Amino acid sequence: MNGLKGRVAIITGAGQGIGRSYAQHFAEAGAIPVIVDVNFDSAKAVEKEIRETGGDCLAVAADISNEEQVAALVEQTLGTYGRIDVLLNNAALFSSLTARPVLEIPLDEWRSVMEVNITGQFICARAVLPHMIERKWGRIINISSGTVTMGLPWLLHYVTSKAAVVGMTRSLAREVGEHGVTVNVILPGSTQTEIERSTTTPEVRQKIVDMQCIKRTETPDDLARVALFLASDDSGFVTGQSIAVDGGLTHL
Amino acid sequence: MESAPKDLAGRVVIITGAGQGIGRVYAEHFGAAGSKVVVAEINKENGEQAAKAINDAGGTAIAVPTDVTSEDSVKALAETVMDTYGGIQVLINNAAMSSVVKSRLIEETPLEDWDAFVRVNVNGTFLCSRAVVPIMRKAKWGRIINISSAGVNMGMGKLLNYVTSKAAIIGFTRGLAREVGPDGITTNAVLPGPVFTEIAREAETAAFKELLVTRQSIPRKEVAEDLVGTVMFLSSDASEFLTGQSVTVDGGLTHL
Repeated sequence: MNGLKGRVAIITGAGQGIGRSYAQHFAEAGAIPVIVDVNFDSAKAVEKEIRETGGDCLAVAADISNEEQVAALVEQTLGTYGRIDVLLNNAALFSSLTARPVLEIPLDEWRSVMEVNITGQFICARAVLPHMIERKWGRIINISSGTVTMGLPWLLHYVTSKAAVVGMTRSLAREVGEHGVTVNVILPGSTQTEIERSTTTPEVRQKIVDMQCIKRTETPDDLARVALFLASDDSGFVTGQSIAVDGGLTHL
Repeated sequence: MESAPKDLAGRVVIITGAGQGIGRVYAEHFGAAGSKVVVAEINKENGEQAAKAINDAGGTAIAVPTDVTSEDSVKALAETVMDTYGGIQVLINNAAMSSVVKSRLIEETPLEDWDAFVRVNVNGTFLCSRAVVPIMRKAKWGRIINISSAGVNMGMGKLLNYVTSKAAIIGFTRGLAREVGPDGITTNAVLPGPVFTEIAREAETAAFKELLVTRQSIPRKEVAEDLVGTVMFLSSDASEFLTGQSVTVDGGLTHL
């Protein structure tokens, strides 16, 4: 992929799961991932893994819904590397959520999902944009979800928050396109990571695979390779778009 | 592109309508990436010129005169490619009636004109895909890239034949993806915006295109090279889990 070498990519929620895979793939492609996680120990562990393979990277602890912490993250990244080329808005509340009907979702939980999954992406994008606009180049990659296209029940707050990300992507793309910054959103399908989810039993997973065009379970690698494309020069005229990467399970 | 995906080298890539315009730009870039390029083109002279340019630049290409609306012609194309290269990995269904489209109201659109768009843009994509799928199935690997249009997202008036034919491509892409996914074949559609090429279009005047540019997120004229990165990505190993999708490449003018 073109032009990833030496590019600095802030990847939120990169201490585990799909985010960790993004960080590893970006490092392999010669980019410098900034591994952001609310859990500093897990971010440090990913940093160690990447450094052991000879890649440069930086672990930073930050809660993306906290303005000051995100400002500090940007400051530390610029202080260390002097540039931010890519923001991968991956951090989200998901695996900790209990699947339950609308009448049973507590308002507090609803609010915290919106705060992290929507407002967190806004705070991170707003924090990196002045720098990207100044340098006339940037890539913002937001993560939505195939559950939006499916209209999945029993996770109303999650699905609602991920639908908001599609709207944000389209509008933000129009605001920053003239400054050389593209904004796109990936809609992953049901992806297997090391994180256990009580609702995703092997039977459920098989049912999803049966509905896909490609009859195997999605892995983080499938997503990382698309993220690399959206972070590269090759996707320079693709902006405001939603890319479903789910083995052909859904279409927008 | 300075460096195309490495796995494109050696792959046999059929590009229909590659004798001019955007198709020819695809062909040249795949040639530079080390692919074995098949210029499938109805205009024999244009096809040969395009293939020659790739070979002169150190690439590998053949021109095969092809009418995508003719079952026999498409069958002969697949046979020629198999005889020459022994495989077909990528098909880019790019040939279409577009530059000749006339802007007119539905009540002024003759049936013959409508039929011609369905024949070339829809049936041509079907025939070429049908010809390569058995070969790709056997190899358990294939990439089919269909060219639709951002005009579908916009829903342009007075271009009903063109827009309808390009919308059909999206349905075709989704359905075909489900049929061939289990055999390692992906099918995706690319929706270009108003691309500025050397070909003058009857309906899309320069003034109209320039108006559209002001409505793009990236407010500059789209050129054929803007599409190349996406088409190459969809032809590569990296897009393995992306299928049945429509990727709009129009500088953020529209969304599906």
